[in-house]
Amino acid sequence: MAGGGELGGGQKQRRGKAGKRKAKKRLGFRLDMTPLVDITFLLLTFFMLTTSMITPQTMEMSVPPEIDTPIEVKQSELLTIRIRQDGMVFYNTGVDAPQRFAAPSRSKSGSADYKKTLAEIKKVVVDQNVALKNRCIVVLKADGEAPYGLVVQVLDELNSAEAEIIDRLKREHGINERKRKFTVSPYVAKDAEELMGL
Amino acid sequence: MSKIKKKRLGFVLDMTPLVDITFLLLTFFMFTAKFKSDAENQQKFEIKRPQTQSDTAKIPEKDLVMIKIAVDTVAKDTAFYLSMVAEQDIAELRSRMKEGGFPEVDEKSIVYKIKDTVWLGKAIFYCRDANRNAVFAIDADRRLKYRWVEQAMNELRKKKATTFNFVTEKKNGGL
Repeated sequence: MAGGGELGGGQKQRRGKAGKRKAKKRLGFRLDMTPLVDITFLLLTFFMLTTSMITPQTMEMSVPPEIDTPIEVKQSELLTIRIRQDGMVFYNTGVDAPQRFAAPSRSKSGSADYKKTLAEIKKVVVDQNVALKNRCIVVLKADGEAPYGLVVQVLDELNSAEAEIIDRLKREHGINERKRKFTVSPYVAKDAEELMGL
Repeated sequence: MSKIKKKRLGFVLDMTPLVDITFLLLTFFMFTAKFKSDAENQQKFEIKRPQTQSDTAKIPEKDLVMIKIAVDTVAKDTAFYLSMVAEQDIAELRSRMKEGGFPEVDEKSIVYKIKDTVWLGKAIFYCRDANRNAVFAIDADRRLKYRWVEQAMNELRKKKATTFNFVTEKKNGGL
């Protein structure tokens, strides 16, 4: 295999003729790369198959600290979004009667698709925030039995609504500062009662 | 009349570019590969993360306290799995959990399976005690009931860790 290295000194001694010696052209050195390529491909396939390119993302969440004195807000400035135990989403402003968002569409495999519901939530939240000129407080209440995935999807929608709210406040009212965001608050028995049978 | 068969010459293919590219890819995958941590090795469950849009950030590596909420595939019970990432934090937390009298703590424990909120609260306190800059992340299965996450959020709030992260997955296909 690696025979190229012997072309040097040994031959010189044997052929020890004096005078001009033709410089022998060095032969190209050939190395069998097949085993190397084999192993490299093996490792490459291993690493390619074991690496997962999807890295987990995070969604930052802030909850209000525990304080004894409750903060009073105007009922009219409150937009409550409630998630019932069966995954239905409702909203109401102040003490109005709760209204239902579009029900999730069921796919053939049985998993619920909330695309429509989420789009409606975003629209309502943006409109309400713009109409109240930055003074709206969105409160999210979710039943303990509701799926966590849905709660996060709603939170994500509220987060993505922020950009639109800021943009529209600026364009329509000339307000550059965004003060109030949304909060999460516990779902109590009264909430369940209000949403019963809707 | 037999035709004289000419001996076929073996053909040589220059493999150098192939090897170059293969090595390049190999190095790339080797460097980007992230292996399972000890904590992930011990877990007996798989988490299906909730899907969100892409406006989320990457998970912080340092000072991280991971609270996983999942259903054990063997025991079929839901529990909180708390673990810290940094080597030093793991040791600090272990000694504190031992002092606090948490059951099932040995020299190798990294992940703590917690079933009640009282211990979860205590563990969160120990984490904050072990590392002042601890950042909390809740990694829960999207099919779980929201109650579990709410409990964890309440405990974090009681221990004055009012900012934390939800671990999510990027939704594929955009909106």
